[in-house]
Amino acid sequence: MANVSIRGLTKKFAEVAAVDDFHLEIGDGEFVSLLGPSGCGKTTTLRLLAGFLQPDGGEIRAAGEVISSPAHLVPPERRQMSMIFQSYAVWPHMTVAQNVAYGLKFKKLTKQEIEKKVTKLLGVVHLAELKDRYSAELSGGQQQRVALARALVVEPQILLMDEPLSNLDANLREEMRFEIRRLHDEYRYTTVYVTHDQSEAMTTADLIAVMNGGRIDQLGTPEDIYARPQSEFVARFIGASNVLKGTARDENHMSFAGATLRVTGAKLTAGQSAAVAIRQHDIEIATQAPASRENTIKATVTRQVYLGASRDYVVETADGNSLRVVTPTETAVDKGREVWLTLPSDRCRALDR
Amino acid sequence: MPASQTGTFRRVGYTGWSAFRFKDPTFPVWIGAAILLVFLMLLPLGAIFRASLWDDTGLTLNRYFEVFTNEQFLKAIWNTLIISTWVGVLAVMTGALLAFLVTRTDLPWKKPIRALVMASFVTPPFLGAFAWTLLAGPNAGALNKLYRAVTGSEEALFNIFTMPGLIFVMALYSFPFVFSMIANVCELISSDLEDAAEILGANKWRTAWTVTLPLAMPALIGGFILAFLQSLSLFGAPAILGLPAGLHTITTQIWALFQYPPRLDLAAAFSVPLLLATMALIAVQKKILGRKGYSTVGGKGGQKRLIHLGLGRVPVLLFVFGILSLSVFLPYWILLKAALSKAWAMPLTWDNFTLHNFSFAFFEYGDTQRAIYNTFKLGIVTATLGTLLATLIAYVTHRNLFRGARYLTFFALAPLVIPGIVLAVGLFIVYTRPPLVLYGTIWILFVAFLTKEMPIGFSQAESTFKSIHPELEDASRIIGANRLISLKDITAPLARSGLIAAWSFIFIGVIRELSAAILLFAPSSKVVSVVIFDLKEEGQVGVIAVLGTLMLAVSFLVILGVQWFAGRDVVATRE
Repeated sequence: MANVSIRGLTKKFAEVAAVDDFHLEIGDGEFVSLLGPSGCGKTTTLRLLAGFLQPDGGEIRAAGEVISSPAHLVPPERRQMSMIFQSYAVWPHMTVAQNVAYGLKFKKLTKQEIEKKVTKLLGVVHLAELKDRYSAELSGGQQQRVALARALVVEPQILLMDEPLSNLDANLREEMRFEIRRLHDEYRYTTVYVTHDQSEAMTTADLIAVMNGGRIDQLGTPEDIYARPQSEFVARFIGASNVLKGTARDENHMSFAGATLRVTGAKLTAGQSAAVAIRQHDIEIATQAPASRENTIKATVTRQVYLGASRDYVVETADGNSLRVVTPTETAVDKGREVWLTLPSDRCRALDR
Repeated sequence: MPASQTGTFRRVGYTGWSAFRFKDPTFPVWIGAAILLVFLMLLPLGAIFRASLWDDTGLTLNRYFEVFTNEQFLKAIWNTLIISTWVGVLAVMTGALLAFLVTRTDLPWKKPIRALVMASFVTPPFLGAFAWTLLAGPNAGALNKLYRAVTGSEEALFNIFTMPGLIFVMALYSFPFVFSMIANVCELISSDLEDAAEILGANKWRTAWTVTLPLAMPALIGGFILAFLQSLSLFGAPAILGLPAGLHTITTQIWALFQYPPRLDLAAAFSVPLLLATMALIAVQKKILGRKGYSTVGGKGGQKRLIHLGLGRVPVLLFVFGILSLSVFLPYWILLKAALSKAWAMPLTWDNFTLHNFSFAFFEYGDTQRAIYNTFKLGIVTATLGTLLATLIAYVTHRNLFRGARYLTFFALAPLVIPGIVLAVGLFIVYTRPPLVLYGTIWILFVAFLTKEMPIGFSQAESTFKSIHPELEDASRIIGANRLISLKDITAPLARSGLIAAWSFIFIGVIRELSAAILLFAPSSKVVSVVIFDLKEEGQVGVIAVLGTLMLAVSFLVILGVQWFAGRDVVATRE
């Protein structure tokens, strides 16, 4: 196993930085997910890690040795890594067993040893029955398992995954998430997992690095990222948050829509503009004024949609701020009605950025 | 643990890294292929310019002066321009009309028609020209004899040994180029555009004239240039049909300059205008066809509705088969008849039937066995090494393996603008003197063919690579295979049918090549096309017919083999 250390990594394509001064330390056996919208540089980072691309600045070390820098590049085949691709990249001219055995060709192993390892891995990914099939005869999920087995059989130091589940249908995707996590718990490879799907990142990873504009915006456990976003970008990208913008009164109060909200999170500076995130389902809606007036705002319903499991509201405050609120289905409020919103102070997170 | 800035680095398992830190062990292969390609292309061209511009005293323009004041040379240039223009016009008219009929109307028997156009495509023009000397020679030509027999006239109806005769034959073997180009465009033009015109009240033929034709215009001009270029660089047909009438073109003139006493310097100087004209025309063609949104109208296009020919179907079909009989049926028939009869001009009766031509050609006539052996040897060696080099180069450019790799495309496609005979002049100059004397051996032909066939091999390999997802190869690299092993184990097997097609195209190109071979052969390195050309002088019609039939048969077998293989391959991978 190996730890990975990325320092100041930069990669430009035609003068535009796809990865821009990227720093990340990944501990031995840790599972890190790079999460971000398309174009945030996460796949480029992964390809830099794999050695398919050479950085324009910074360096990548694995187990202490520089493997990528503008002057040095260890080719992919010498990095003792494995990678799982978005397209699965199962070789169509080889059977399942041949696909899985291929990487062992480059290790000094006897035929029996190879066969033993292949058989074992095929068992682990539940493909033993299909070992003589070709990829054209496999479903998407089965191809994904072949890709997994092929990547794991070589016992890599580091495992890279590039949106491995994005081509699967929803049910299978859910199942494979847990499968990937199960395999990680079994083998504990240092893993970097690229995805744009937050629930995928949350189920699989120990640590999530939310990426934006070629850098890490916030690094933390799934709970950190979800419950304690530090930036507007993370608050909006992870889960469904409203970001309220107002003026700070003191370090934990902000004026917004004619009310004063008590908030937690970052310390505010009186008089400065401030941003506060609150999730759509953390806001309560009432048609009558609540007993406690703390953290309540008056607003008007401008849209109401019944979604079966919940109701989805858009409300507008008197000064024209729009908020989205998700409530249980029981509280039906018609469009045009005046409502009181309660924003619990422990759910209002002041943002650093 | 996360966020540590000074993690404890373990070295287990990473000992192999340092040694390879700087080097990709496969790099020499890629750079080697690139250098080989660049030399292959630059040496002959450099030699031509050098030989045309330098003499013992230094830089001089005397050769150009000599070439461009000599009346005979100017006449050859003039002839070439007239011939090529007419060939271009005729080829576009025929090719475009056939392409339109096949793609946009309900003409029956489209598959056989396409196959026959393909057959015209595969027929070497010099063989077609030879067949037409048997069909329309003024005295013994079969069509003229028929005409005399029917009308009782003493005159000949056709004389193929004239400029119109030459233009006619060259157009017959140039129109397939235009056909395939226009057919592609016609398939792209969506009927929506035409429907729009019809809604506005135009009838079908008017729509074809006012909408379809202008949309196809860039392709028509491109097709004209293609046919023009094709006839500019042809040697065999003008030599067979023009020389007996004292009609020289640029290519035959260059050839004549190689006859005793050879004037290499003049040949080089005379090659330069041909080379420059070709380059200029290709540049124009690229510009016209490259204008996006116009030539590739509507992308994949919508539905295509076919124009109903109605009662016109039968006459149109007869017309189409009339044209194809001129390029395929009649020439093939006369060749086969000549191969199988004692006296080719007599009717093929039992008395006249013989297999002697075959036994004579294969076992008795001095040059043929060796020439057949040489031809196949060159075909196989060139196709194999050519496919290998083209594959490596296409891989380098496609994956952009090093800085400037994209420019290799230019070198790989450069021979498109070098007429075969010009290439031969350059190679002759390079390889008749040290350090590498190849002249007199079969290897100078190998170099010529390798150079000449590089564009077709390269384009084929490149489009094959484009269809293979790069992640398939990344997947093998990351688990331990270097580039070369990945290419061998993953990409090459997946590219197999495409590369086999590349091999076959090169092979067919080589076995029919005449214009470069005619300047570069030595007595021991004759190839079939050169033997046919020589036999023409000796009047050995039967033997020529046998060799021509053999050449055609092998070409068709290779094409059928590729189609069978490609079809099977598709079924096997089921993708």
